[in-house]
Amino acid sequence: MRPLDEIQREFFSAVQMPLRGRSRESTELAPNDEGHSPVFLAIADELMKPGSNLSSAERLELYHRQYWFRLLDSVAEDFPVLQKIAGEETFWKLIEAYLTALPSNSFTLRHLGGRMADFIAGWDGLDKTRQRWFAALARLEYAYMEIYEAAEWEPVPPERFMDAELALQPHVILLDLPVPADRCAEWEDFSPDDETPVYLAIWRGESGAHSQCRLEGIEFELLKRLRKRGLLESLFAEPTEHEPSPDEVARWFASWQQRKWIALSPTADVEEFPTPVRRRERDNDWSGVDKMGSQARAMED
Amino acid sequence: MSASRFTGGVELATGIGLRSPHYRHILSEKPTVGWFEIISENYMVEGGRPLEVLDMIMEQYRVVQHGVGLYPGNANGIDRDHLKRLKRLVKRTKTPWISDHLCWGSIDGRMSHDLLPIPFTFESARKTAENLRMTQDFLEVPLAMENVSSYGEFNGNEMTEWEFLAEVAELADVGILLDVNNIYVSAINNEFDPLDYVNFVPPERVAQIHIAGHSRYERFIVDTHDHPVVDPVWKLYERAIERCGPVATLLEWDGKIPSFEEVWTEAKKSEAWRDAALAKKGDHAAA
Repeated sequence: MRPLDEIQREFFSAVQMPLRGRSRESTELAPNDEGHSPVFLAIADELMKPGSNLSSAERLELYHRQYWFRLLDSVAEDFPVLQKIAGEETFWKLIEAYLTALPSNSFTLRHLGGRMADFIAGWDGLDKTRQRWFAALARLEYAYMEIYEAAEWEPVPPERFMDAELALQPHVILLDLPVPADRCAEWEDFSPDDETPVYLAIWRGESGAHSQCRLEGIEFELLKRLRKRGLLESLFAEPTEHEPSPDEVARWFASWQQRKWIALSPTADVEEFPTPVRRRERDNDWSGVDKMGSQARAMED
Repeated sequence: MSASRFTGGVELATGIGLRSPHYRHILSEKPTVGWFEIISENYMVEGGRPLEVLDMIMEQYRVVQHGVGLYPGNANGIDRDHLKRLKRLVKRTKTPWISDHLCWGSIDGRMSHDLLPIPFTFESARKTAENLRMTQDFLEVPLAMENVSSYGEFNGNEMTEWEFLAEVAELADVGILLDVNNIYVSAINNEFDPLDYVNFVPPERVAQIHIAGHSRYERFIVDTHDHPVVDPVWKLYERAIERCGPVATLLEWDGKIPSFEEVWTEAKKSEAWRDAALAKKGDHAAA
């Protein structure tokens, strides 16, 4: 028998080949009349022992379809607005191209969409306008996943505001988007008009669900500085594009504090073993927790 | 219940897999359940909902970690970053043992997110055992390897699946999580007698047993964990208990998940099969 790494490399290359035939028909991918490629059949014959119930190719196909079904479902689930405004045909072409070009490199399916925005920006299946909008939207939708599993540090108490090292909560994500992709959720189909860049904050709210808001340019810059951690005075050590008024600064800080975005910068020990801030009284939306379930996956014969 | 060095000396009876549709019921009703098995990867995060729920569950219940991403059969070896994340969670849960699957799942950094079958060769057994020894040393908690359900075997296999499982467990000195539903699924798909499997497994290494339902098609079975346990699987369970003693038993239900009560009632059925098996074992000993 060939060395283990060669067998695994060959098996995986077959599993990653595009779905064909009835397996493909069981998905939302555009149908394809072609049967399995000769390469897939040759790998199946070489690797898999046939039996009286299933041929070598059918055995390998069970793994092949299981791989694609699981990944297609998982990545589609993370980009519902993109799916709606791209349209079904374009969306599934994009997902197939993405998974083919960039196989998962994380232990969890939750991270499967992590490279989607960059991929879209260079994908030749879209015109330049769609590349710009869809990439921005993918970045926004992936942020909803990121905040879901991000840490939460101890909020800064008022009496420590002046002397403590401050930090932006890890579950607050700052986005600088070239187009206002936050408006796409309101659209029925792709209908871009205004292309003004936007600054956004997305964070995990009290209910556990995501919240988001637009930020002013200088506010965004100050929050980026807060992300790097430091004393309050360090936020203003470097000049900004224009000098914010004391009223503006007071309004921003009040809003950040009210949303509990400002945290005490944690010690190394705290970061090693994060303890989530407990909230017992709130809506229980547990969706997504079980994304990496068992190997179980229903398939149709 | 039986305790061994493969369970960290902890005795557990009947448990079920912790699944999100049941969180609300568990946290509000606090039902009497022996223990919960958690999917490690769901909680290998920095914060947020998953860890918050886990901490609340652990205030009331014992949890045991069960992983789906160790991939000890990987030719490239074990992912060290994965182990570090796993160890952080082990410290949090204080799991008495940790289980994962005897499979491979990634190559050259590309992840399948599946539990792929290992060729049953001596080379694979050595490599897998080497990965497991390193893992167990690093995690400092007993490891148990679960037999996976499979849809095919490799040409050129040098031993049966049950011989491979026993060989790896012996070489790595790890426990076994015996999934009797997986044995049944693989037996139908790969055309062997499931009793040969159960009768061969070294009983002293079995730390835990999994039971589950599956979906049967005309020519094969898919391991969907979305039905009650079928009688042939209960019979394998009975035989396993007869050989291994009262091992910690856990019902997995992952698809079309019914109410908590329904899942727990299904899990509790195992206790009647267990008692019957132990009575048989007692009769044999008396004879």
